[in-house]
Amino acid sequence: MNETIGLYIDRDSPLHRLNPLTKVVFTICIVILGFISPWAWITFAIPVLILIPMSFWGQIGVPYLRALLKIVVPLALILLVMQSLFLPGETTWFRFWFLSVEYESVERSLTLVSRLVSMTASFILFLFSTHPSRLMTDLTRRGVSPIVTYLFISTIQLIPLMRTKANTIMDAQRARGLETEGNIVTRSKALMPMLAPLVFGSLVDVEERAIAIEARAFRVPGKRTHLTIVPDSQAQHLFRIALIVLTVVLIGVRLWLSLTS
Amino acid sequence: MAIIDIVDLSYTYPHTNQPALRTINLSIEEGSFVALIGANGAGKSTLCYTITGFVPHFFQGEFHGTVTIAGKDLKSSELKDMVTTASLVFQKPQNQISGTKFTVFDEVAFGLENLGVPREEMIKRIERALELTGIAHLAERSPYALSGGQQQRLAFASMLAMDTPILVLDEPTSQLDPIGSREVFEVVERLTDEGKTVIMAEHKLEWIAAFADRVVVLDEGSILLDGTPDEVLTSSLLVENDIGSTRYTSVARAAQEQALAPQNANLPISLEQAERFFKQA
Repeated sequence: MNETIGLYIDRDSPLHRLNPLTKVVFTICIVILGFISPWAWITFAIPVLILIPMSFWGQIGVPYLRALLKIVVPLALILLVMQSLFLPGETTWFRFWFLSVEYESVERSLTLVSRLVSMTASFILFLFSTHPSRLMTDLTRRGVSPIVTYLFISTIQLIPLMRTKANTIMDAQRARGLETEGNIVTRSKALMPMLAPLVFGSLVDVEERAIAIEARAFRVPGKRTHLTIVPDSQAQHLFRIALIVLTVVLIGVRLWLSLTS
Repeated sequence: MAIIDIVDLSYTYPHTNQPALRTINLSIEEGSFVALIGANGAGKSTLCYTITGFVPHFFQGEFHGTVTIAGKDLKSSELKDMVTTASLVFQKPQNQISGTKFTVFDEVAFGLENLGVPREEMIKRIERALELTGIAHLAERSPYALSGGQQQRLAFASMLAMDTPILVLDEPTSQLDPIGSREVFEVVERLTDEGKTVIMAEHKLEWIAAFADRVVVLDEGSILLDGTPDEVLTSSLLVENDIGSTRYTSVARAAQEQALAPQNANLPISLEQAERFFKQA
């Protein structure tokens, strides 16, 4: 059976072996850098010069590029066209019928799109190279509440489970003669007989799930131990501090530039 | 020595009028294997939830009587005190998976991590639990990629690893084939030999006859019968209350009714007893 865990792609690479916190800090800093950059080309350069080479370092270059082309590029193009056409501006570049494109609107939409691209590209790289379990184990060890861990990971695990359950209900209702295909009216009529068992069944499951985790000492107070040890190093610790300091400095520079101009 | 002592227990779930348990009096010795049988809705699961503290601490409701589990008074204890005393395996295996772990090995570790068990000790316990339940070869698989029977074994392994003195199993073999069911009963026998107390709600009477020390029959929330498997499983009250009997008892009873076997002979509950019974006939 093919097992998928969120967006994670299993590889034995230096990027995968990095401590999850290092990758969290790196991702957040990259996103902030994209937002504070005064020029869109710098923000666009982040995925090209940093994230794509990193994906190849992490042996996930091809799927990463595929994800960028399938998710990020179409989204960016749609946003760029829409924003350029409808954002107000003064210096008109060209006009066609009732549509006009102004220099200022293109500039602003490029800034917006560049931020979106660098943000989604860095999150995708993070999710592709970080196992959710390692992330949460490390964060719990650092003091994040196990309830947060539970909510995050169980949601990832339950989504495919709900999908399977929904398909089973759909098959069962079809076997009883429910029409699920055809025009919008037929499809709408089929929605309730499928949704009701899914929702009520899930509510019943919630009680049993609560008992199951209670029975396994989930709410027992006291110090917890961890089976998995997520390695960290002094070098990574220093790298994280350096990244945070650099980001804070850059925020300061950006504020200073804004104030002086 | 009694590890479970229940005196005049009555319990009604919230928003219901009918009590799920009525004036239950039950004392269970340490190291024994007690089977709970009864029709659906007889109160077996509710009694399992009571021994593990979920009644009244999780389900609330109207609770009367005194329940003492391993020296702890149930009413004055909290649920967190009970989880180290009695562990629970229930029917639907998929709902017993924590949802926070990505491999079978890690899943078994979930309860141990919460209890703060040291890592070395944790690994030893997990390996033993996986070995006992026959799923050591699945250690690296995702819990959600297992079959129903394998998930039931995983739920059992997760509880075994908690190493509580009392294990409560509510129909733990509902999704297992005959070989899997036998293995569960064999593990239970091994655990009781090691001094654990096991309470199991189960419908498979042949296995109960072969392994249990004592059988308690529940009917509409009350104890109908309580005794050794030989005493209880041959009682005509089981048939009268639609609980059924083992295939050996049914055939022997039919033979007696047809005057094909001596009327005073003891009804069998196992293959060996049935062999002797029909030799007499």
